[in-house]
Amino acid sequence: MSRAFLPLLLLAVGAIALFVSGYDGPAAGERSITLATTTSTENSGLLSHLLEPWSEATGIQVKVIAVGTGRALALGERGDADLVLVHARSREDAFIAAGHGIDRRDVMWNDFVIVGPPSDPAGIRGMRDAGKALAAIAANRALFVSRGDDSGTHIRELELWAHAGVYANYPSSGADTYLKAGQGMGPCLTMADQRRAYVLTDRGTFLAARRTKDLEVLVEGDPHLRNAYGAMLVNPQRHPHARTDAARRLLDHLTSPEGQARIGAFRMDGEVLFHPHAAGD
Amino acid sequence: MEFLWEGIQEAFRLVVGGDQQVFHAVGVTLYCTVTAVTLAALVAIPYGAWLGLYRPRGYRLQVFVLRVGMFVPTVVVGLIVFGMLSRQGPLGWLDSLYTKQAIVAGEFLLAFPILGTFTHAAVRAQRGTPLETALTLGAGRQRAMLTMLGEVRVPIVAAILAAFARCFSELGVAIPVGGNLELRTRTLASTIVLDLSKGNFAKAVAPGLILIALACVIATIAFLLERERES
Repeated sequence: MSRAFLPLLLLAVGAIALFVSGYDGPAAGERSITLATTTSTENSGLLSHLLEPWSEATGIQVKVIAVGTGRALALGERGDADLVLVHARSREDAFIAAGHGIDRRDVMWNDFVIVGPPSDPAGIRGMRDAGKALAAIAANRALFVSRGDDSGTHIRELELWAHAGVYANYPSSGADTYLKAGQGMGPCLTMADQRRAYVLTDRGTFLAARRTKDLEVLVEGDPHLRNAYGAMLVNPQRHPHARTDAARRLLDHLTSPEGQARIGAFRMDGEVLFHPHAAGD
Repeated sequence: MEFLWEGIQEAFRLVVGGDQQVFHAVGVTLYCTVTAVTLAALVAIPYGAWLGLYRPRGYRLQVFVLRVGMFVPTVVVGLIVFGMLSRQGPLGWLDSLYTKQAIVAGEFLLAFPILGTFTHAAVRAQRGTPLETALTLGAGRQRAMLTMLGEVRVPIVAAILAAFARCFSELGVAIPVGGNLELRTRTLASTIVLDLSKGNFAKAVAPGLILIALACVIATIAFLLERERES
């Protein structure tokens, strides 16, 4: 027994030393804030385009947590973020009304499109009314992929179905042609591609993914497809540890003429993805 | 932390209330893991026993491949199965992406190396025992392997449990290959991910607890399996 003791002790000490040596330290110090936002802003590359120069100028690092709108707001509600940037106006207003956030401001907008297989079995190509297009998809029993994850895109999709006339309750009808994926935009586009289904997507994610997919933009331009992004601070009275001052500086920057111009200058494949709020309304 | 307590209450409500989504997810989880582990066990356990008893040609290479197979990330297995079953893939004509059967295929690949490696190790541990000598010299192969497997019953049950553990809560196959489709291919584990992504922390706890409860059932069954047969 005693012969085995020393090696075992050394092993234990070694393991503990390894554990301690990997300690990450307190989360990056005072000079960092946490931004909870949606995957569309992160995946498109917009955020690094905006945040890198700002961090360099101010010395404040921004930790970006890119999740669905529902979770981004939940993170703000729990005080696990300092600033929230999302796109679901009704949820944002509820968030402010409940006292979880303050100082909501419009930042920018982009648009949603309905994409689907080039063969377009429901014949919606070129339609201008998203509600009618959805009704045609339902009427033709064509496959439709729903995010089904409480994201801003999912919430908007459900709002659009309300304009689909007799098919307004289609998402909750249990129809086997309505696929509730419960996944992010990228996987849903993959699923639509594989199953030759229709799907509602933000334009940016679609542009980034289209090269590998056999999908086309079929419906666009309906005012109901416009997608406004709002930013708000986590209420410092609820969460005293929130880094509100630094977060407000970022919010000021995003809504300043300089920040707005930078949003408008962002391009993907030569296309404007996000329109500055100042420019569009 | 209060969401943990809320989650426990939520789990109770969902189970007692016979929540359709949760029960369906339990069904999908059990269907996929039981089918995949059973199929994998039927092939991998005899294979591992054969490797251990007879050390065939290429023995080291085969053991090596099995061992490395245990390390392959579930997502990589998911990618491989996705590649095979996607429309552009060699098995695209089966049209079986986003089905439970596709998940079973992936979990089969996850379970196989664990079952093979552990069985091989259990049989190897018998090397030099009178039983092993008698078997390799005397009995027919089929009989020898069956006798040996009966002898090393306990480590084999452990192997089956490990295979279950890897499949039961995996996400790398269930989400990309299964698609996490509500009331079709949504498992308990992918339910947790979805509830998390919605920010429903309390609701995410419930399927986790149900998963652990099911693990208790499986671990209990394991005791029955490893019991000595009354003669």
